[in-house]
Amino acid sequence: MPTYAYILVSLALFFVGCAGVLLRRNVLIVLMSVELQLAAGTLALLAFSRALGDQKGHVFAFFVMALAAAEAAVGLAIVVSVFRTRRTASLDEVNALKG
Amino acid sequence: MNLATHTATLAEMIAFAVLTAGVLGGGLVTITRRNPVSAVMSLVLTFAALAGVFATLSAHFLAILQVLVYAGAIMVLFVFVVMMMNRDEITPISRRGLGTRAAGVLAAGYVFYRVAWLVNRERGLPVLAATETPPVKDFGTVSSVGALLFSDFLFPFEAISLLLLVAVVGAVMLTRHLREDRVP
Repeated sequence: MPTYAYILVSLALFFVGCAGVLLRRNVLIVLMSVELQLAAGTLALLAFSRALGDQKGHVFAFFVMALAAAEAAVGLAIVVSVFRTRRTASLDEVNALKG
Repeated sequence: MNLATHTATLAEMIAFAVLTAGVLGGGLVTITRRNPVSAVMSLVLTFAALAGVFATLSAHFLAILQVLVYAGAIMVLFVFVVMMMNRDEITPISRRGLGTRAAGVLAAGYVFYRVAWLVNRERGLPVLAATETPPVKDFGTVSSVGALLFSDFLFPFEAISLLLLVAVVGAVMLTRHLREDRVP
């Protein structure tokens, strides 16, 4: 399939992740939507990597994957420690840092 | 640069349609579920289908990593945390500030629509029309990507492994139980 088809899929997937981050208030689902956005970025990197015949895109996709793993670990640790003290997973109720 | 183009065969088209339907459908199901367990399961489906899409881009190494790291390791983390909290959401979409957030989604949708329109208009460009694996030896295999990782990208590779170490230690520090006498 031509590259532009992959780019359109990547755009649509990023938009789905965007809508999830903006609309949902469950912090776990917001984190999953961020993972969707990172995956959409990876897809665009790989599509252009193939189109240009350059494997550096694969290396950067690898880095994005490692970054997603680190982000999931730290994000879920913060969620767990907030849940332990506040007994909630809703972003509306976690506003202690709000000015 | 040799950008080979050929018309996609029917089998390629069917594979692409099924895999992208899995990716986008799984993503939509993920962000609409009330129960986080269902959301995690559809996210696994999304990432498995995405691994298939990577394979059609001849990114074999990244497709396998996608299954191992995303659909395996990260999703297991999510499942553990979901099981620990174990409560459904009462309101999937809260009403607080809904107008602002809906406007944000509409604005984001318009931006993505315009970018997609642009990509569709310029689809004749060589880089957007390329359809075949480039004539590079072992494109996307473990050996060639690994050789690049350990030569040109050695420093970023070591930096990202340090980042992972810091993230894991930080996660342990954040979630560890404080002893009673140390609680402020």
